[in-house]
Amino acid sequence: MKIHRINAVIVRHLYEARRNFDRLTDLIWWPVLDIVMWGFFTIYLAHSSRLQPNVVSCLLGAVILWGTFYGFQRDMAVGFIDELWCRNLINLFSTPLTLSEYMVGLIGVCLLKVMVGLCAASAVAWAAYSFDIVPWLPMFIPYMANLLFFALALGIAITGLIFRYTTKIQALAWSFAGLLMPASCVMYPMSSLPRWMRAIAWMLPTAHSFEGMRQVLAGKGFSPQHFWWGAGLNAIYFVLAIGFFGWIFEQARTRGLLVKMD
Amino acid sequence: MLVEVENLSKTFGEFRAVDNVSFAIERGEIMGMLGPNGAGKTTTIHMILGLITPSSGRISIFGKSMATHRGEILARMNFTSPYVAFPFRLTVLENLMVFARIYNLKKPRERIDELLQRFGIAKLRDKPIARLSSGENTRVGLCKAFMNDPQLLLLDEPTAYLDPEIAWQVKNALLDAQREKGTTILYTSHNMDEVERMCKRIIFLHHGKVIAAGTPIEITQAILEEEREEPALEEVFLRLVKGKAA
Repeated sequence: MKIHRINAVIVRHLYEARRNFDRLTDLIWWPVLDIVMWGFFTIYLAHSSRLQPNVVSCLLGAVILWGTFYGFQRDMAVGFIDELWCRNLINLFSTPLTLSEYMVGLIGVCLLKVMVGLCAASAVAWAAYSFDIVPWLPMFIPYMANLLFFALALGIAITGLIFRYTTKIQALAWSFAGLLMPASCVMYPMSSLPRWMRAIAWMLPTAHSFEGMRQVLAGKGFSPQHFWWGAGLNAIYFVLAIGFFGWIFEQARTRGLLVKMD
Repeated sequence: MLVEVENLSKTFGEFRAVDNVSFAIERGEIMGMLGPNGAGKTTTIHMILGLITPSSGRISIFGKSMATHRGEILARMNFTSPYVAFPFRLTVLENLMVFARIYNLKKPRERIDELLQRFGIAKLRDKPIARLSSGENTRVGLCKAFMNDPQLLLLDEPTAYLDPEIAWQVKNALLDAQREKGTTILYTSHNMDEVERMCKRIIFLHHGKVIAAGTPIEITQAILEEEREEPALEEVFLRLVKGKAA
Protein backbone atom coordinates (compact mmCIF):
# COMPACT_ATOMS: atom_id res chain seq x y z
CA MET A 1 0.00 0.00 0.00
CA LYS A 2 1.38 3.40 -0.99
CA ILE A 3 0.45 6.48 1.00
CA HIS A 4 0.60 8.80 -2.04
CA ARG A 5 -2.06 6.75 -3.81
CA ILE A 6 -4.31 6.71 -0.71
CA ASN A 7 -3.75 10.46 -0.53
CA ALA A 8 -4.84 10.77 -4.19
CA VAL A 9 -8.18 9.12 -3.37
CA ILE A 10 -8.69 11.42 -0.36
CA VAL A 11 -7.90 14.48 -2.48
CA ARG A 12 -10.24 13.31 -5.24
CA HIS A 13 -13.17 13.08 -2.78
CA LEU A 14 -12.30 16.33 -1.02
CA TYR A 15 -12.38 18.12 -4.38
CA GLU A 16 -15.78 16.54 -4.95
CA ALA A 17 -17.03 17.62 -1.51
CA ARG A 18 -15.95 21.17 -2.25
CA ARG A 19 -17.64 21.34 -5.65
CA ASN A 20 -20.72 19.21 -5.12
CA PHE A 21 -23.60 20.91 -3.30
CA ASP A 22 -25.17 17.53 -2.49
CA ARG A 23 -22.05 16.44 -0.64
CA LEU A 24 -21.93 19.75 1.23
CA THR A 25 -25.52 19.32 2.41
CA ASP A 26 -24.73 15.74 3.49
CA LEU A 27 -21.76 17.05 5.40
CA ILE A 28 -23.36 19.82 7.47
CA TRP A 29 -27.00 20.39 6.57
CA TRP A 30 -28.60 17.10 7.62
CA PRO A 31 -26.68 16.63 10.90
CA VAL A 32 -27.58 20.20 11.91
CA LEU A 33 -31.19 19.91 10.76
CA ASP A 34 -31.63 16.66 12.71
CA ILE A 35 -30.34 18.17 15.89
CA VAL A 36 -32.50 21.29 15.46
CA MET A 37 -35.64 19.21 14.93
CA TRP A 38 -35.00 16.80 17.78
CA GLY A 39 -33.90 19.73 19.96
CA PHE A 40 -37.33 21.33 19.61
CA PHE A 41 -38.91 18.00 20.42
CA THR A 42 -36.88 17.74 23.61
CA ILE A 43 -37.95 21.27 24.56
CA TYR A 44 -41.55 20.13 24.15
CA LEU A 45 -40.82 17.08 26.31
CA ALA A 46 -39.09 19.23 28.91
CA HIS A 47 -42.41 21.02 29.49
CA SER A 48 -44.06 17.73 30.28
CA SER A 49 -44.22 16.93 33.98
CA ARG A 50 -43.85 13.21 33.16
CA LEU A 51 -40.42 13.66 31.68
CA GLN A 52 -37.84 11.39 33.27
CA PRO A 53 -34.40 12.74 34.05
CA ASN A 54 -31.79 12.43 31.28
CA VAL A 55 -34.32 11.89 28.50
CA VAL A 56 -33.29 15.13 26.79
CA SER A 57 -29.61 14.16 26.93
CA CYS A 58 -30.40 10.65 25.72
CA LEU A 59 -32.33 11.92 22.71
CA LEU A 60 -29.81 14.54 21.68
CA GLY A 61 -26.87 12.19 22.27
CA ALA A 62 -28.64 9.52 20.24
CA VAL A 63 -29.33 11.93 17.36
CA ILE A 64 -25.68 12.97 17.24
CA LEU A 65 -24.35 9.39 17.35
CA TRP A 66 -26.88 8.05 14.87
CA GLY A 67 -25.96 10.91 12.51
CA THR A 68 -22.33 9.84 12.79
CA PHE A 69 -23.14 6.20 12.04
CA TYR A 70 -25.53 6.95 9.21
CA GLY A 71 -23.25 9.61 7.67
CA PHE A 72 -20.24 7.30 7.59
CA GLN A 73 -22.10 4.40 6.01
CA ARG A 74 -23.80 6.69 3.46
CA ASP A 75 -20.60 8.54 2.53
CA MET A 76 -18.75 5.28 1.92
CA ALA A 77 -21.37 4.01 -0.49
CA VAL A 78 -22.07 7.38 -2.14
CA GLY A 79 -18.34 8.04 -2.57
CA PHE A 80 -18.11 4.87 -4.62
CA ILE A 81 -21.34 5.61 -6.53
CA ASP A 82 -19.79 8.94 -7.51
CA GLU A 83 -17.14 7.01 -9.46
CA LEU A 84 -19.86 5.07 -11.26
CA TRP A 85 -21.89 8.16 -12.08
CA CYS A 86 -18.90 9.82 -13.73
CA ARG A 87 -17.55 6.59 -15.31
CA ASN A 88 -14.19 7.09 -13.61
CA LEU A 89 -13.55 3.49 -12.50
CA ILE A 90 -11.58 2.51 -15.61
CA ASN A 91 -9.38 5.59 -15.26
CA LEU A 92 -8.67 4.80 -11.62
CA PHE A 93 -8.12 1.07 -11.87
CA SER A 94 -5.98 1.26 -15.00
CA THR A 95 -3.37 2.94 -12.77
CA PRO A 96 -1.26 1.21 -10.09
CA LEU A 97 -3.97 2.16 -7.56
CA THR A 98 -5.11 -1.01 -5.79
CA LEU A 99 -8.56 -1.74 -4.50
CA SER A 100 -7.34 -1.73 -0.88
CA GLU A 101 -5.66 1.67 -1.39
CA TYR A 102 -8.88 3.01 -2.87
CA MET A 103 -10.93 1.70 0.06
CA VAL A 104 -8.50 3.05 2.68
CA GLY A 105 -8.59 6.47 0.97
CA LEU A 106 -12.37 6.42 0.90
CA ILE A 107 -12.53 5.44 4.57
CA GLY A 108 -10.12 8.27 5.42
CA VAL A 109 -12.19 10.89 3.64
CA CYS A 110 -15.45 9.56 5.16
CA LEU A 111 -13.91 9.79 8.60
CA LEU A 112 -12.97 13.42 7.96
CA LYS A 113 -16.45 14.25 6.70
CA VAL A 114 -18.23 12.54 9.56
CA MET A 115 -16.08 14.42 12.08
CA VAL A 116 -17.11 17.72 10.48
CA GLY A 117 -20.79 16.70 10.77
CA LEU A 118 -20.28 15.54 14.36
CA CYS A 119 -18.65 18.84 15.34
CA ALA A 120 -21.40 20.87 13.63
CA ALA A 121 -24.21 18.90 15.29
CA SER A 122 -22.50 18.99 18.70
CA ALA A 123 -21.96 22.74 18.43
CA VAL A 124 -25.63 23.35 17.63
CA ALA A 125 -26.75 21.02 20.46
CA TRP A 126 -24.55 22.95 22.87
CA ALA A 127 -25.46 26.45 21.62
CA ALA A 128 -29.20 25.95 21.19
CA TYR A 129 -30.12 23.30 23.75
CA SER A 130 -27.30 23.46 26.29
CA PHE A 131 -26.41 19.83 25.65
CA ASP A 132 -22.65 19.56 25.98
CA ILE A 133 -21.38 16.25 24.62
CA VAL A 134 -17.74 16.96 25.49
CA PRO A 135 -17.81 15.80 29.16
CA TRP A 136 -19.37 12.52 28.02
CA LEU A 137 -16.88 11.90 25.24
CA PRO A 138 -14.35 9.80 27.18
CA MET A 139 -17.07 7.22 27.86
CA PHE A 140 -18.80 7.70 24.49
CA ILE A 141 -15.69 7.21 22.36
CA PRO A 142 -15.59 3.39 22.65
CA TYR A 143 -19.27 3.24 21.63
CA MET A 144 -18.66 5.70 18.81
CA ALA A 145 -15.73 3.60 17.64
CA ASN A 146 -18.04 0.58 17.53
CA LEU A 147 -20.63 2.56 15.59
CA LEU A 148 -18.06 3.70 13.04
CA PHE A 149 -16.61 0.21 12.75
CA PHE A 150 -20.06 -1.20 12.03
CA ALA A 151 -20.76 1.63 9.55
CA LEU A 152 -17.48 0.70 7.86
CA ALA A 153 -18.45 -2.98 7.58
CA LEU A 154 -21.87 -2.01 6.22
CA GLY A 155 -20.33 0.54 3.84
CA ILE A 156 -17.94 -2.10 2.49
CA ALA A 157 -20.74 -4.64 2.05
CA ILE A 158 -23.02 -2.13 0.31
CA THR A 159 -20.18 -0.95 -1.93
CA GLY A 160 -19.66 -4.62 -2.83
CA LEU A 161 -23.32 -4.97 -3.74
CA ILE A 162 -23.09 -1.82 -5.88
CA PHE A 163 -20.02 -3.34 -7.60
CA ARG A 164 -22.13 -6.34 -8.51
CA TYR A 165 -25.50 -4.75 -9.26
CA THR A 166 -24.25 -1.22 -10.17
CA THR A 167 -26.47 1.84 -9.80
CA LYS A 168 -29.61 -0.31 -10.02
CA ILE A 169 -29.41 -0.68 -6.25
CA GLN A 170 -27.92 2.71 -5.43
CA ALA A 171 -30.88 3.57 -3.16
CA LEU A 172 -29.33 1.18 -0.62
CA ALA A 173 -26.57 3.73 -0.08
CA TRP A 174 -29.05 6.09 1.55
CA SER A 175 -31.60 3.68 2.95
CA PHE A 176 -29.82 0.66 4.37
CA ALA A 177 -28.92 2.23 7.71
CA GLY A 178 -32.56 3.30 8.06
CA LEU A 179 -33.61 -0.35 7.86
CA LEU A 180 -31.53 -1.06 10.95
CA MET A 181 -32.80 1.92 12.91
CA PRO A 182 -35.85 0.29 14.58
CA ALA A 183 -33.82 -2.63 15.96
CA SER A 184 -30.85 -0.39 16.81
CA CYS A 185 -32.79 1.15 19.72
CA VAL A 186 -31.54 4.63 18.90
CA MET A 187 -34.25 6.54 20.79
CA TYR A 188 -35.57 3.93 23.22
CA PRO A 189 -34.18 1.16 25.42
CA MET A 190 -33.92 -2.40 24.17
CA SER A 191 -36.53 -3.41 26.76
CA SER A 192 -39.16 -1.49 24.74
CA LEU A 193 -38.82 -3.94 21.86
CA PRO A 194 -40.98 -7.05 21.51
CA ARG A 195 -39.13 -10.21 22.54
CA TRP A 196 -38.47 -11.45 18.97
CA MET A 197 -36.98 -8.09 18.00
CA ARG A 198 -34.69 -8.04 21.02
CA ALA A 199 -32.91 -11.05 19.60
CA ILE A 200 -32.23 -9.06 16.43
CA ALA A 201 -31.12 -6.03 18.45
CA TRP A 202 -28.57 -8.13 20.34
CA MET A 203 -26.96 -8.97 17.00
CA LEU A 204 -26.53 -5.30 16.08
CA PRO A 205 -23.47 -3.38 17.33
CA THR A 206 -25.54 -0.20 16.97
CA ALA A 207 -28.06 -1.39 19.60
CA HIS A 208 -25.22 -2.10 22.06
CA SER A 209 -23.69 1.32 21.46
CA PHE A 210 -26.96 3.17 22.08
CA GLU A 211 -27.80 1.00 25.08
CA GLY A 212 -24.34 1.72 26.50
CA MET A 213 -24.70 5.44 25.81
CA ARG A 214 -27.99 5.55 27.72
CA GLN A 215 -26.38 3.83 30.68
CA VAL A 216 -23.63 6.44 30.70
CA LEU A 217 -26.13 9.32 30.55
CA ALA A 218 -28.21 7.70 33.33
CA GLY A 219 -25.11 7.83 35.51
CA LYS A 220 -24.62 4.05 35.58
CA GLY A 221 -21.15 4.29 34.12
CA PHE A 222 -19.50 2.59 31.19
CA SER A 223 -20.91 -0.83 30.27
CA PRO A 224 -18.09 -3.20 29.25
CA GLN A 225 -20.71 -5.82 28.36
CA HIS A 226 -22.31 -3.66 25.66
CA PHE A 227 -18.94 -2.47 24.40
CA TRP A 228 -17.47 -5.98 24.05
CA TRP A 229 -20.62 -7.40 22.51
CA GLY A 230 -20.52 -4.61 19.93
CA ALA A 231 -16.80 -5.05 19.30
CA GLY A 232 -17.13 -8.84 18.92
CA LEU A 233 -20.03 -8.53 16.49
CA ASN A 234 -18.10 -5.88 14.57
CA ALA A 235 -15.11 -8.17 14.20
CA ILE A 236 -17.36 -10.86 12.69
CA TYR A 237 -19.21 -8.44 10.39
CA PHE A 238 -15.98 -6.77 9.29
CA VAL A 239 -14.35 -10.08 8.30
CA LEU A 240 -17.53 -11.09 6.45
CA ALA A 241 -17.74 -7.71 4.68
CA ILE A 242 -14.09 -7.81 3.57
CA GLY A 243 -14.43 -11.40 2.32
CA PHE A 244 -17.65 -10.53 0.48
CA PHE A 245 -16.11 -7.42 -1.10
CA GLY A 246 -12.97 -9.23 -2.24
CA TRP A 247 -15.06 -12.00 -3.76
CA ILE A 248 -17.38 -9.51 -5.51
CA PHE A 249 -14.42 -7.54 -6.91
CA GLU A 250 -12.92 -10.68 -8.43
CA GLN A 251 -16.35 -11.55 -9.84
CA ALA A 252 -16.57 -8.06 -11.33
CA ARG A 253 -13.20 -8.54 -13.04
CA THR A 254 -14.11 -11.99 -14.30
CA ARG A 255 -17.49 -10.91 -15.63
CA GLY A 256 -16.12 -7.66 -17.07
CA LEU A 257 -18.44 -5.62 -14.85
CA LEU A 258 -15.71 -3.19 -13.87
CA VAL A 259 -15.65 -1.74 -17.37
CA LYS A 260 -19.39 -1.81 -17.93
CA MET A 261 -20.63 -0.13 -14.80
CA ASP A 262 -23.10 2.70 -15.17
CA MET B 1 9.43 -7.89 -26.93
CA LEU B 2 7.78 -5.31 -24.68
CA VAL B 3 4.31 -6.85 -24.83
CA GLU B 4 3.60 -10.52 -25.36
CA VAL B 5 0.05 -11.80 -25.56
CA GLU B 6 -0.31 -15.56 -25.91
CA ASN B 7 -3.49 -17.50 -26.63
CA LEU B 8 -5.65 -14.93 -24.89
CA SER B 9 -9.35 -15.80 -24.65
CA LYS B 10 -12.31 -14.31 -22.85
CA THR B 11 -15.73 -15.84 -22.59
CA PHE B 12 -18.78 -14.15 -21.11
CA GLY B 13 -21.27 -16.97 -20.57
CA GLU B 14 -21.77 -18.49 -24.02
CA PHE B 15 -20.24 -15.52 -25.83
CA ARG B 16 -16.58 -15.74 -26.83
CA ALA B 17 -15.45 -12.10 -26.95
CA VAL B 18 -11.75 -12.85 -27.53
CA ASP B 19 -10.70 -16.13 -29.06
CA ASN B 20 -7.14 -17.37 -28.77
CA VAL B 21 -5.49 -14.06 -29.64
CA SER B 22 -1.70 -13.91 -29.77
CA PHE B 23 0.55 -11.00 -30.71
CA ALA B 24 3.69 -9.24 -29.59
CA ILE B 25 4.80 -5.61 -29.70
CA GLU B 26 8.42 -4.57 -29.94
CA ARG B 27 9.90 -1.80 -27.81
CA GLY B 28 9.30 1.59 -29.47
CA GLU B 29 6.79 0.21 -31.97
CA ILE B 30 3.34 1.63 -32.75
CA MET B 31 1.02 -1.26 -33.44
CA GLY B 32 -2.51 -0.84 -34.70
CA MET B 33 -5.42 -3.02 -33.68
CA LEU B 34 -8.27 -2.87 -36.15
CA GLY B 35 -11.64 -4.48 -36.40
CA PRO B 36 -15.33 -3.67 -36.57
CA ASN B 37 -17.39 -2.88 -33.48
CA GLY B 38 -17.62 -5.93 -31.24
CA ALA B 39 -14.46 -7.49 -32.68
CA GLY B 40 -12.84 -7.77 -29.24
CA LYS B 41 -10.40 -4.85 -29.41
CA THR B 42 -11.56 -3.09 -26.25
CA THR B 43 -11.91 -6.36 -24.31
CA THR B 44 -8.32 -7.22 -25.28
CA ILE B 45 -7.13 -3.80 -24.08
CA HIS B 46 -9.06 -4.18 -20.83
CA MET B 47 -7.44 -7.57 -20.26
CA ILE B 48 -4.01 -6.07 -20.89
CA LEU B 49 -4.85 -3.44 -18.28
CA GLY B 50 -5.96 -6.11 -15.81
CA LEU B 51 -9.50 -4.72 -15.65
CA ILE B 52 -10.93 -7.99 -16.96
CA THR B 53 -9.57 -11.38 -15.94
CA PRO B 54 -8.84 -13.53 -19.03
CA SER B 55 -10.56 -16.91 -19.28
CA SER B 56 -7.26 -18.31 -20.54
CA GLY B 57 -3.96 -17.19 -21.99
CA ARG B 58 -1.02 -15.16 -20.80
CA ILE B 59 -0.10 -11.48 -20.89
CA SER B 60 3.48 -10.43 -20.30
CA ILE B 61 4.60 -6.79 -20.28
CA PHE B 62 8.17 -5.55 -19.65
CA GLY B 63 9.03 -9.24 -19.33
CA LYS B 64 6.68 -9.70 -16.34
CA SER B 65 3.37 -11.44 -16.04
CA MET B 66 0.39 -9.09 -15.76
CA ALA B 67 -1.33 -11.59 -13.48
CA THR B 68 1.36 -11.30 -10.80
CA HIS B 69 2.98 -7.87 -11.35
CA ARG B 70 -0.06 -5.71 -12.13
CA GLY B 71 0.86 -2.67 -10.00
CA GLU B 72 4.47 -2.60 -11.10
CA ILE B 73 3.50 -2.85 -14.77
CA LEU B 74 0.70 -0.28 -14.58
CA ALA B 75 3.09 2.27 -13.03
CA ARG B 76 5.06 2.22 -16.31
CA MET B 77 2.16 2.28 -18.75
CA ASN B 78 -1.00 4.28 -19.33
CA PHE B 79 -4.27 4.20 -21.17
CA THR B 80 -6.93 6.47 -22.55
CA SER B 81 -10.19 6.17 -24.38
CA PRO B 82 -12.74 8.86 -25.20
CA TYR B 83 -15.39 6.47 -23.85
CA VAL B 84 -14.26 6.77 -20.24
CA ALA B 85 -14.80 9.96 -18.33
CA PHE B 86 -13.58 12.05 -15.44
CA PRO B 87 -15.47 13.38 -12.41
CA PHE B 88 -17.35 16.16 -14.14
CA ARG B 89 -17.57 18.66 -11.30
CA LEU B 90 -13.81 18.70 -10.82
CA THR B 91 -11.75 21.06 -12.93
CA VAL B 92 -9.24 19.81 -15.48
CA LEU B 93 -6.41 20.67 -13.09
CA GLU B 94 -8.04 18.91 -10.12
CA ASN B 95 -8.65 15.77 -12.15
CA LEU B 96 -5.10 15.68 -13.41
CA MET B 97 -3.74 16.41 -9.91
CA VAL B 98 -5.44 13.23 -8.66
CA PHE B 99 -3.57 11.18 -11.27
CA ALA B 100 -0.34 13.09 -10.65
CA ARG B 101 -0.62 11.99 -7.00
CA ILE B 102 -1.36 8.40 -7.97
CA TYR B 103 1.83 8.38 -10.05
CA ASN B 104 3.69 10.26 -7.30
CA LEU B 105 5.06 12.96 -9.59
CA LYS B 106 7.68 15.23 -8.06
CA LYS B 107 6.52 18.46 -9.73
CA PRO B 108 2.89 17.78 -10.64
CA ARG B 109 1.84 21.36 -11.48
CA GLU B 110 4.72 21.81 -13.92
CA ARG B 111 4.07 18.46 -15.57
CA ILE B 112 0.35 19.20 -15.90
CA ASP B 113 0.98 22.66 -17.37
CA GLU B 114 3.42 21.17 -19.88
CA LEU B 115 0.91 18.52 -20.96
CA LEU B 116 -1.97 20.99 -21.20
CA GLN B 117 0.25 23.12 -23.39
CA ARG B 118 1.25 20.15 -25.55
CA PHE B 119 -2.37 19.21 -26.25
CA GLY B 120 -3.54 22.82 -26.67
CA ILE B 121 -5.88 23.02 -23.70
CA ALA B 122 -3.89 25.22 -21.31
CA LYS B 123 -6.71 27.76 -21.19
CA LEU B 124 -9.12 25.07 -19.93
CA ARG B 125 -7.05 24.32 -16.83
CA ASP B 126 -9.55 25.73 -14.32
CA LYS B 127 -12.73 24.74 -16.13
CA PRO B 128 -14.91 21.92 -14.77
CA ILE B 129 -14.90 18.84 -16.99
CA ALA B 130 -18.68 19.18 -17.38
CA ARG B 131 -18.17 22.35 -19.42
CA LEU B 132 -15.77 20.81 -21.94
CA SER B 133 -16.62 19.57 -25.42
CA SER B 134 -16.07 15.89 -26.30
CA GLY B 135 -12.87 16.78 -28.13
CA GLU B 136 -11.53 18.77 -25.19
CA ASN B 137 -12.39 15.85 -22.91
CA THR B 138 -10.46 13.50 -25.17
CA ARG B 139 -7.44 15.76 -24.87
CA VAL B 140 -7.70 15.77 -21.07
CA GLY B 141 -7.62 11.97 -21.34
CA LEU B 142 -4.45 12.23 -23.41
CA CYS B 143 -2.86 14.51 -20.79
CA LYS B 144 -3.72 11.85 -18.21
CA ALA B 145 -2.26 9.15 -20.47
CA PHE B 146 1.09 10.98 -20.74
CA MET B 147 1.18 11.94 -17.06
CA ASN B 148 3.67 9.27 -15.95
CA ASP B 149 5.78 9.44 -19.11
CA PRO B 150 4.69 5.89 -19.94
CA GLN B 151 6.87 3.36 -21.72
CA LEU B 152 3.72 1.69 -23.03
CA LEU B 153 0.56 3.50 -24.09
CA LEU B 154 -2.75 1.82 -24.86
CA LEU B 155 -4.91 4.16 -26.89
CA ASP B 156 -8.47 3.18 -27.68
CA GLU B 157 -9.59 5.42 -30.55
CA PRO B 158 -7.69 8.43 -29.24
CA THR B 159 -8.73 10.74 -32.07
CA ALA B 160 -12.46 10.03 -31.93
CA TYR B 161 -14.38 13.30 -31.42
CA LEU B 162 -11.38 15.39 -32.50
CA ASP B 163 -11.57 17.79 -35.43
CA PRO B 164 -8.99 17.10 -38.17
CA GLU B 165 -6.57 19.81 -37.04
CA ILE B 166 -6.52 18.67 -33.42
CA ALA B 167 -6.39 15.02 -34.50
CA TRP B 168 -3.31 15.90 -36.57
CA GLN B 169 -1.70 17.58 -33.52
CA VAL B 170 -2.43 14.54 -31.38
CA LYS B 171 -0.97 12.15 -33.94
CA ASN B 172 2.16 14.29 -34.09
CA ALA B 173 2.43 14.28 -30.30
CA LEU B 174 2.21 10.48 -30.34
CA LEU B 175 4.81 10.17 -33.09
CA ASP B 176 7.09 12.58 -31.21
CA ALA B 177 6.77 10.51 -28.05
CA GLN B 178 7.63 7.39 -30.00
CA ARG B 179 10.62 9.01 -31.73
CA GLU B 180 12.04 10.94 -28.77
CA LYS B 181 11.30 8.62 -25.87
CA GLY B 182 10.78 5.30 -27.59
CA THR B 183 7.24 5.01 -26.28
CA THR B 184 5.55 1.80 -27.38
CA ILE B 185 1.94 2.31 -28.47
CA LEU B 186 -0.98 -0.04 -29.05
CA TYR B 187 -3.49 1.93 -31.07
CA THR B 188 -7.07 1.19 -32.03
CA SER B 189 -8.97 3.34 -34.49
CA HIS B 190 -11.68 3.21 -37.10
CA ASN B 191 -9.76 5.71 -39.20
CA MET B 192 -7.77 3.60 -41.66
CA ASP B 193 -5.70 6.50 -43.05
CA GLU B 194 -4.61 7.32 -39.55
CA VAL B 195 -3.60 3.72 -38.86
CA GLU B 196 -1.67 3.55 -42.15
CA ARG B 197 0.22 6.69 -41.20
CA MET B 198 0.87 5.81 -37.58
CA CYS B 199 1.42 2.09 -37.36
CA LYS B 200 4.31 -0.03 -38.48
CA ARG B 201 2.31 -3.22 -38.00
CA ILE B 202 -1.35 -3.98 -37.51
CA ILE B 203 -3.52 -6.85 -36.41
CA PHE B 204 -7.08 -7.29 -37.60
CA LEU B 205 -9.60 -8.70 -35.15
CA HIS B 206 -12.99 -10.06 -36.15
CA HIS B 207 -15.40 -11.99 -33.92
CA GLY B 208 -12.64 -12.09 -31.30
CA LYS B 209 -10.05 -13.72 -33.58
CA VAL B 210 -6.93 -12.36 -35.27
CA ILE B 211 -7.76 -12.72 -38.96
CA ALA B 212 -4.75 -10.86 -40.36
CA ALA B 213 -1.46 -9.47 -39.11
CA GLY B 214 1.50 -7.70 -40.69
CA THR B 215 2.57 -4.34 -42.10
CA PRO B 216 -0.18 -2.27 -43.80
CA ILE B 217 1.21 -3.06 -47.28
CA GLU B 218 1.67 -6.77 -46.50
CA ILE B 219 -1.90 -7.03 -45.30
CA THR B 220 -3.23 -5.06 -48.27
CA GLN B 221 -1.45 -7.33 -50.77
CA ALA B 222 -2.30 -10.54 -48.94
CA ILE B 223 -5.99 -9.84 -48.43
CA LEU B 224 -6.73 -8.11 -51.74
CA GLU B 225 -4.58 -10.73 -53.50
CA GLU B 226 -3.02 -8.21 -55.89
CA GLU B 227 0.12 -6.13 -56.16
CA ARG B 228 -0.33 -2.70 -54.67
CA GLU B 229 2.18 0.09 -54.18
CA GLU B 230 0.26 1.78 -51.39
CA PRO B 231 -1.62 0.26 -48.47
CA ALA B 232 -5.41 0.32 -48.80
CA LEU B 233 -6.64 -0.64 -45.36
CA GLU B 234 -10.14 0.65 -45.93
CA GLU B 235 -10.63 -1.78 -48.79
CA VAL B 236 -9.02 -4.53 -46.74
CA PHE B 237 -11.31 -3.76 -43.83
CA LEU B 238 -14.43 -3.98 -45.98
CA ARG B 239 -13.22 -7.13 -47.73
CA LEU B 240 -12.37 -8.88 -44.48
CA VAL B 241 -15.52 -7.91 -42.67
CA LYS B 242 -17.85 -8.68 -45.57
CA GLY B 243 -15.97 -11.84 -46.48
CA LYS B 244 -16.04 -13.15 -42.93
CA ALA B 245 -19.62 -12.09 -42.43
CA ALA B 246 -20.60 -13.96 -45.58
